[in-house]
Amino acid sequence: MTAAGASWSPPIPAGRRVGRFDLLVRLVRRPEGAFGVLILAIFAALALAPDFFVGPLQTAVTAHGTRLSPPSAAFPLGTDELRRDMLNLTVHGARVSMAIGLLATLVTVFIGAVVGIVSGFVGGRVDAVLMRITDFFLVIPTFVLALILTPIIRDLVGSGSTEILGIRMTLIVIVIVIGITSWSSSARIIRSQTLSLKERAFVDRARVIGAGSGHIMRRHILPNVINLIVANSVLVFAGAVLTETTLSFVGLGDPFQPSWGQLLEAARSVGAPGLGAWWYFVPPGVCIVLVVFAFTLVGGALDDLLNPKRRGRA
Amino acid sequence: MSAGGAGMSAGGAGMSAGGAGMSAGGAGIGAGEPDELLRIEGLEVHFPIRRSALDILPGRHPGVVRAVDGIDLTIRRGEVLALVGESGSGKTTTGRVVVKLTAPTGGRVVFDGQDVTDLRGGAALRTYRQRVQLIFQDPYETLNPKQSIGDFVAEPLDVNGLAPAPDDRRRRVLAALDAAGLRPAEDFARRYPHELSGGQRQRVVIAGALVMGPELVVADEPVSMLDVSIRTELLRLMLDLRAERGLTYLFITHDLALAWVLADRIAVMYLGRIMEIGPAERVIEDPHNPYTRALVSVSPTTTPPAAGERAQRTILVGETPDAAHVPSGCRFHPRCPLVFDRCRTESPPLFDVGAGQAAACWLAEGGRSLPLMPTTAAAGVAAAAPSPEAPGVAAS
Amino acid sequence: MTAAVPRPDRPPRALPRLAVAGAPLLEVDDLKTHFRLAGEVVRAVDGVSFRLDAGEALGIAGESGCGKTTTALSLVRLLPANASIVGGSIRLHGIDLATKSDTAIRRYRWREISIVFQGAMNALNPVARVRDQIAEPIVERLGVDARTARRRAGELLELVGIPRARGSAYPHELSGGMRQRAMIAMALACDPAIVIGDEPTTALDVMVQAQILDLLERLRERLGLSLILITHDLSVIAETCDRVLIMYAGRVAEEGPVAQVFTRPRHPYTQKLLAAFPNIQADRRTLDVIPGTPPDLRTPPPGCRFAPRCPLAMAVCSEVVPPEVTFADRVRVACHLYSEGSSGEPVLVPAAATVGRA
Repeated sequence: MTAAGASWSPPIPAGRRVGRFDLLVRLVRRPEGAFGVLILAIFAALALAPDFFVGPLQTAVTAHGTRLSPPSAAFPLGTDELRRDMLNLTVHGARVSMAIGLLATLVTVFIGAVVGIVSGFVGGRVDAVLMRITDFFLVIPTFVLALILTPIIRDLVGSGSTEILGIRMTLIVIVIVIGITSWSSSARIIRSQTLSLKERAFVDRARVIGAGSGHIMRRHILPNVINLIVANSVLVFAGAVLTETTLSFVGLGDPFQPSWGQLLEAARSVGAPGLGAWWYFVPPGVCIVLVVFAFTLVGGALDDLLNPKRRGRA
Repeated sequence: MSAGGAGMSAGGAGMSAGGAGMSAGGAGIGAGEPDELLRIEGLEVHFPIRRSALDILPGRHPGVVRAVDGIDLTIRRGEVLALVGESGSGKTTTGRVVVKLTAPTGGRVVFDGQDVTDLRGGAALRTYRQRVQLIFQDPYETLNPKQSIGDFVAEPLDVNGLAPAPDDRRRRVLAALDAAGLRPAEDFARRYPHELSGGQRQRVVIAGALVMGPELVVADEPVSMLDVSIRTELLRLMLDLRAERGLTYLFITHDLALAWVLADRIAVMYLGRIMEIGPAERVIEDPHNPYTRALVSVSPTTTPPAAGERAQRTILVGETPDAAHVPSGCRFHPRCPLVFDRCRTESPPLFDVGAGQAAACWLAEGGRSLPLMPTTAAAGVAAAAPSPEAPGVAAS
Repeated sequence: MTAAVPRPDRPPRALPRLAVAGAPLLEVDDLKTHFRLAGEVVRAVDGVSFRLDAGEALGIAGESGCGKTTTALSLVRLLPANASIVGGSIRLHGIDLATKSDTAIRRYRWREISIVFQGAMNALNPVARVRDQIAEPIVERLGVDARTARRRAGELLELVGIPRARGSAYPHELSGGMRQRAMIAMALACDPAIVIGDEPTTALDVMVQAQILDLLERLRERLGLSLILITHDLSVIAETCDRVLIMYAGRVAEEGPVAQVFTRPRHPYTQKLLAAFPNIQADRRTLDVIPGTPPDLRTPPPGCRFAPRCPLAMAVCSEVVPPEVTFADRVRVACHLYSEGSSGEPVLVPAAATVGRA
């Protein structure tokens, strides 16, 4: 038996004004949304101004602790084998991990959106070709491809000490690689949405008044997939952080700009687990879990909120 | 706001008593009448049905959906021509061809004396679009939820480079909103669709169609999604605009009663062909095609049947077949209560039955009238219970 | 159409155990159903009363937002989560359904009173065969075994004009008209006394609409069914119903035999509504305009809710709720123009701006 009034909704008076941050407000109203946003806000603060919280990144030269000492008053998270403050390293790791995650997400989503929208809207042979390319990238295991591509692109780019946004080239390569390997699922999702938007009356109307495909894609398709892109980006971000962590863990990271993954790799190579130096790998590990969890919570909540069936409810 | 230049209103306050039968003795499809604005000749729109490899390999031919299957139509300046039909009749497709949303697969479209059938890109198409516009059916879907009302109305100008100066653009947008009854216009221009009611949204759609100053407006079921009390206001607006700006309307609807209220002439379509066309009163009061007559008998009326009786309706058997399986001969013959042998094999042309009316029916040949048709109240006994499928008709 | 004395070719239905002897089939008294929406109360149905006798067809007419669908859903107690009946009674054979618990109501829902929903065609389960969907309530409600239920489903399909063989089809294989017939078959599955049709013919072609209405009429005669048709389309009511209830903004404006209300409407809203409807049989080819919009039911106007739009509004109309007055021709009106003991002559609303050709 079907639910009452499948296509009828109660009499809702003409809508209220929607503020810019309406989505954010509704997100924070939900407990999981609020929790996720809080965690991300904390880590964002740490990532934006790590120096403010713990001072500049310690190096082997500036370190002043004792080797591999457990947490104490002076060093709340203990020290590593180079006598550096783990708290300092972990906070700076936040910057590196989050920055890489952010840049990788931007690249991924940009490629995915362009491919998805063009493919979905233009259709025909363009769609067929782009989708076969997308399928290719979808099918190959992301991590394996990343593993193969990273050293290759590193060689191409050369290792210098140029930095983009404060991130060294070696890590920028990781950004590029994550972008190359992750865009395809975003493209698929965005293409789906574009296909259904393409059939809607307001697109027809744009055609009737003489708008060309470019105009329609920019002014009609894109604004209506933005919400989907944002929700998707959140999950892409989480995936990017995880991928970067894993790549660093297998040795493709940069010891001079340690991300959390790099710290885990260092902990492993020093034999921290065997030595019982839990303070070396637990903090970065917990941070990774927290951040990815927070992203997933927010992504899930956004997904719910953006479901069109939810019209008229808080 | 430039008004529709060359158009002339058909007199008075848009309530001329029938602008009917202007062409002497013609069946409304005369060639090149002086006040003819749009002429459609032999229009065909066939859509191929895509089959999977499993169907093609054994050599089965893919079917064709014959949405529009050869129609001739003329619209005169200043008139309201209603194109009436049920779903699957091809009326919406015809409208889409006129505004160039769908390309015809056969036939010709002549606008203001020029063949516009194959216009592609460039200045000619742009000019055509400025002169011919469309009012859409669904006010909830036609407006992009992310676009402000002002941007929506301005978009035709922006896309065609018609008002590059911001002041001019603004002025034209506000004038269009005002003409559509949305006042104060500045206030509405700033709002977004979800803040407006259905009736207001449809006015925005009308404003958007008017802003370029068209001469011919195709209205595709413009009020069917609105409440009854709102409908009348919108229709009044449309007719007032016709009088003020000398507009011509192609009014597409499934509601014959509505066509009767508004139209000068009515064309009834069935399965891609025109069954009957003529002045509104003639088509409604004295139909010469059995389909038209049946349609009139079941069209909405708020006059209850007399006490103890049932209404005299000719309820056809079955539903309109799908346009991929058009019956042979006269396409209405499987459901026609007056069918005879010739109908099954030969398709009738439109016969002139006088007073500017024409019907596509073998019974109308020579201008004859229709014999009586069975109704549900015949002899006080309910007619044979209609089964949902007549033989030979594919139930889709 | 005059009230038909049902002459069904079937034995009379058994009454429910709790039925009160001699009670009318359905009596709704001062029903109030309110919604909670974003912290505010929407008074969608605010004091509606009517009666339905066995074999009658009652039409409930009004525009969107008048509360007619909410009334229908209240009768079968299938309201959305944020709505509830806050007052009044719904007596079916004298049994008050409004106060029954959710479990208790199952005894009556579908077995005594069922509903064909708005948008019914899209309410069918796309992955179940039509016959199985009709059989489902028979199995669940009547405790009958699956085989008997399927057989009965086949009979129901034939009853509504669908060949038995088509029962094994899936909904998408049927046309719009056939799907609507299937929904009617489903509503008849447990042999109810009352079937409510909520916009039963909206979105159907006019010829299919005529077929469905004709079907409902024949089912009414054959099964002794009582109908409540909810629609904004007055022509549906004119053709099929004995009596009509005109609703406006959650209240009753006018109620009575169709022949009376449609030919001699009293309430100004009824007059305007009829005049706004195209009528292919009428001499006039004009449509009246009703200016303004229905009120916001979160803050309905005091007094008569139609007063702000009424061309004949008096001072008292915006202060006092008009009492319901019944006249000799069995028409009930809620309007200050018609007071108790007055002649009942309709006061004609002046024709406003019109559209069309005179």
